[in-house]
Amino acid sequence: MDAHHARYPFFESARQAVGEAGVDLVTLIREGHPAVERGRERVQRALVAGTVEQASDQRVDARTEVLSYPIARVLVSLVDAPGAVEKYAASEATTAHERFVEEFERGRQSTLGGDPLTLDAVLREFDLASVVRSDGTDTDPTEYRVAVGTYLDLAPAGDDWRLVTRELADGWVTVTRRELYDLLERAVERRVADGLPLTVPEEIADPLAAVVSEVESALATATYPRSFDRVDPGSFPPCMQALLDRARSDEESLSAAGRFALVSFLGALGMDGEAATTLVGSADESLAYAADRLDGGLYPPPSCSTMQAYDVCIDPDDRCATIDHPLEYYAEALE
Amino acid sequence: MNQRTREYLRGRFGDHYRRVSVELPPATDRREWGYIPFTSSEGTTMVRHKSAFDVGDLGTFLTRERPRHVYFSAGRYDDPGARSMNEKGWNESDLVFDLDADHLPGVDPEEDSYASMLATCKEALERLLVFLEEDFGFDDMTVVFSGGRGYHVHVRDESVRSLDRDQRREVVDFVRGLGLEDVSQLTTVETVAGMGLKNPVEKRTLRTDGGWGQRVQSRLVALADEVREMDEEAGVARLQEFEGIGEKGATTLYNAVTNNYEQVAAGNLEAAGQYTRKLAQLFLERAVVEDGAPIDEPVTTDINRLIRLPGSLHGGSGLAVTRIARDDLDAFDPLVDAVPETFVDHDIRVDSPVERTVELQGETHNIPEGIATVRECVGVHLMARGDAEKASE
Ligand code: SF4
Repeated sequence: MDAHHARYPFFESARQAVGEAGVDLVTLIREGHPAVERGRERVQRALVAGTVEQASDQRVDARTEVLSYPIARVLVSLVDAPGAVEKYAASEATTAHERFVEEFERGRQSTLGGDPLTLDAVLREFDLASVVRSDGTDTDPTEYRVAVGTYLDLAPAGDDWRLVTRELADGWVTVTRRELYDLLERAVERRVADGLPLTVPEEIADPLAAVVSEVESALATATYPRSFDRVDPGSFPPCMQALLDRARSDEESLSAAGRFALVSFLGALGMDGEAATTLVGSADESLAYAADRLDGGLYPPPSCSTMQAYDVCIDPDDRCATIDHPLEYYAEALE
Repeated sequence: MNQRTREYLRGRFGDHYRRVSVELPPATDRREWGYIPFTSSEGTTMVRHKSAFDVGDLGTFLTRERPRHVYFSAGRYDDPGARSMNEKGWNESDLVFDLDADHLPGVDPEEDSYASMLATCKEALERLLVFLEEDFGFDDMTVVFSGGRGYHVHVRDESVRSLDRDQRREVVDFVRGLGLEDVSQLTTVETVAGMGLKNPVEKRTLRTDGGWGQRVQSRLVALADEVREMDEEAGVARLQEFEGIGEKGATTLYNAVTNNYEQVAAGNLEAAGQYTRKLAQLFLERAVVEDGAPIDEPVTTDINRLIRLPGSLHGGSGLAVTRIARDDLDAFDPLVDAVPETFVDHDIRVDSPVERTVELQGETHNIPEGIATVRECVGVHLMARGDAEKASE
């Protein structure tokens, strides 16, 4: 189990490596292998923060990271929260997307060592090599062509993806490189969601019960105001104002946690994807995408302590000292 | 339809099915089959949820049952004979397009003759095929005259068979040009004069590599080519014919196409200030009307749809549901080529309550009120439509 497997544990090769290593999940769980704790973090961060990246700088070893994935799949199957599986798969995919882009674009060695991943390798991984083309001569193409069936299959929701607005010739849709990465994200999401929720036998579920309820209680943030009669960005807490500015700016982009915080905050104010996109402006496409799939505020926006942990509590002011949740801040500021 | 008429038609349908052999669609035994029998009740009850196994050998079935209408499913299933869609276990579906004269813009089913409706429909079919062949690049297509008021296209390319309803709706919207409101939807935007500066200039360029952007561009280029050959006075006058383009705009545009032709042709919508964009918007609206294929959406998006079986007879017209080879499409005339051979050699007596005209086999047949002797295909057509009854011979 190497660094590639650790970064992309849903790859077929990672699955094989786990198989060949003859790892027994039941034993791992019974013995409290660190992969269980990392698996919990994986699911919890996926559901709360929209990413599966580790929170601490203290990296776990590759083997633990790889094994945390099958454990996370078990855990998310046991978590009792609506849409947990979908949200988990989407967060795995968001993180994978960020990692792909990092490796493709900067051609940079992965931080865990090993050769950087190539686009071709990812296309092959998802059986997309024959349905994605670039114009042969260009070594660093900015546009690709995707077979229309594949395009329809993987395109996210959203006006920019409507086929009718697209260049389509002889069965191939033109996409930008960035859009191709979005399509790959969907392929990852599909792969992760495939087979979930798992049917978990008791011998695995029972020893995980405590871990599962830990995740569930992290989700249950019951103590913030839930309804607002208007959207007034002037009354947003400093963190949300800062995130909004970043989302609107061309130069900065939001981290996954920042995007999740902002989108779920707007969702909690009763804004749907379209309203959120209008407020933000169309500068940040992935934000629009996230907002579109928000499912009516199903996922509660993070509390101040979570915001701090993910480094998106930005410029707290005096009022912040009196509240625990950005929505609480907003409710008070509105009055 | 009285009993004598019904028995006559049913008998002759049987004779027809004995003469011809009906070619089966691929994956016959994974499809659902259905038919509407010749029954006395007015309501048409479809017998469906049949598997190929239930139906048995199709030729035998058709000659024995002599149904009025025969259908097979676009979908392929694990258990096509199961009664509910859930139990059937859907695998995949052909992508089916239906053009029905009744739903075409510019067709008035009350006023227009059957022949002219079918002609309008064939034009729409040709527009549809441009999308399917050039934009979508489909290979495995079967074009069929429905036997009634339109045409079907069955697409069986593997890449589209697994598409779900929403994805099929994207295909529908594409061929209809649905949702195209503003030409800016078909452009890429480049922000010129520096990122992040105040008031950066947006440069919009049509995306011209296929699709609707290309359809708008080809119209722009055609106009540019036309105007470029004219002197300024004529060119400006020509451009002013377009709604919203005044003398100033026309002059700007004329200068752009003469001095900056490459930019205009490349789809640069800023090539003549706001005016190129204005023209492009007009051309988009035209393109949707002129090129769009007004297919019947529910047929394409319904993955469990039952469709008429090519080679069978349409019980509401007495015409054959006819496969058309692509090369024969230009010359295809449904009112000649879909007339079953079985019905051309004899004359029969029918009773028509009113005087009528029927165009069939390239001739106009005038049917007087009351009992008359007509060519059998004409009589079958009238009786199948419910416009005449069989008279005793
Ligand atoms: S304390 Fe809470 S509300 Fe204030 S900036 Fe930090 S996260 Fe936002």
